Amino acid sequence: MQTISAVFTYTFKEHVRHKAWLSSALFGFILLGGALVISALGADERPRLMLDLGLAGIEAITLVSIVFLTVNLILQEIESRAIYLILTHPVRRSDYLLGRFLGTLAAAALGMAIMAALHLVLLGLYGWWEPGRYLAALLCTLGKAGVMGSLALLLSLALTSEAAAMAFSVFFWMLGHFSSEMRFLADRSGSAFIKTAIVAFSHAAPDFAHFNYRDFWHATAPGAQWLMWAGVYAVAYAGACLALSVQLFEQKEF
Amino acid sequence: MKYRALAVAAVLFAVSLAAGTAMRALYEPRFPPLAELQGGAFAFQDASLAAAGFRAPAADLAWIQLLQYAAGSLPEYVDAPGKGYEHLAKLSLRVARLDPSFNRAVLFGAGILAWFHGVDRPDEAAELLRDGMRMSPDQKLYPLYIAALAYKKKGDSDRMIALLESSFDQPETPSTMKAILANLRQSRGELKEALVLWIRILENERDASEHGRARAKIVELRAALRGRQGKKQVDGRKHQ
Repeated sequence: MQTISAVFTYTFKEHVRHKAWLSSALFGFILLGGALVISALGADERPRLMLDLGLAGIEAITLVSIVFLTVNLILQEIESRAIYLILTHPVRRSDYLLGRFLGTLAAAALGMAIMAALHLVLLGLYGWWEPGRYLAALLCTLGKAGVMGSLALLLSLALTSEAAAMAFSVFFWMLGHFSSEMRFLADRSGSAFIKTAIVAFSHAAPDFAHFNYRDFWHATAPGAQWLMWAGVYAVAYAGACLALSVQLFEQKEF
Repeated sequence: MKYRALAVAAVLFAVSLAAGTAMRALYEPRFPPLAELQGGAFAFQDASLAAAGFRAPAADLAWIQLLQYAAGSLPEYVDAPGKGYEHLAKLSLRVARLDPSFNRAVLFGAGILAWFHGVDRPDEAAELLRDGMRMSPDQKLYPLYIAALAYKKKGDSDRMIALLESSFDQPETPSTMKAILANLRQSRGELKEALVLWIRILENERDASEHGRARAKIVELRAALRGRQGKKQVDGRKHQ
């Protein structure tokens, strides 16, 4: 636990001091400013536009930064050979990987929290104030970021190429939003084999379509029980990807 | 021992499958499939945003483009001469297909098609409302507008206006529809009622887009009412 905590602190500080993290946070602020300007064109629907575009901006920046950071998390250390130095210490590989991942997720969460605070202030100025539901939407975005980050880490270790890992991460991101479409296709399919294959694939891919709380709340938003299951899903899916990453990392020979 | 992490991954994946099933059983988003998204000039914009999981923001952008079209400044959709608002129903439906909870887009489109001065296409408005109702069956204003359209077709303007006014303070009622109602009252010579409606528009923060027009209309209607009162007084004196 002490090792995980030490690696976590070191990774968190490393990311927060990194130019990429700072520029993504800055870009997030620019997107929030953009949401403020664009929403002015929405006439009666200004608060809705500010809310949707702001949350979408926060999610986009968080996802881009977490994919970029996790893909490079281990690969860069392998390339620079810094990993040899770390692994000569009595550090278990699983602890190291977990500490690195959690530190990265915490840095992404901090960026999200800063952007969300500014967004809430802007929304408050326009008379919108529902912090409970806003927090639920942010938690769902963080869940998505956690799943995506762990998947990107697994892909980076499996493919050992930054470009390929990023491309596949984007592919899984898109696929995750097609889970309802895949089930729709399965329903329409006449062949039992194709139907089973599509359903199995839709369950294996991350289900992001059911995670878009920010897209649901204009209709009847899901309740607390749903949020609990969504949390279990995100933690379990990210945990499964991390366990696979540990398996790959432990088998690597340095 | 060698494959302990693999076993942990399998267990966690099974947990995620169970949690995903429970999550889907508790709530199924009511978005039309991507195949139902409209083609046309903005097909790529809509498909890419929806595929990336940004359906609500995609609907918001479509709403802005709908407003631009209604204001006559959307170069991708220009009306043929003599065919005002010919793409309005299509663009309103585009918003609702991206996000069915964006009821205001359908109500806005139907309101203009049915009651806007010089448009008068109630059948197209009814079709649009029926499409909206199919996607968002819980929205109570769709059947209300369809009923108001039926009164319009029967020529029963009193009941039509009374029905539409009953939804005046509903948050989904578009500001444009409120302005149309106030203008309908004015065109029937009911200046006092029209004035009251414009005042209600001015007092509602959500109708900020109509506040400029409301201020001008209030001044105009107050002057007209004063003129009418003055005329009545003159007529009264004449009779005495």
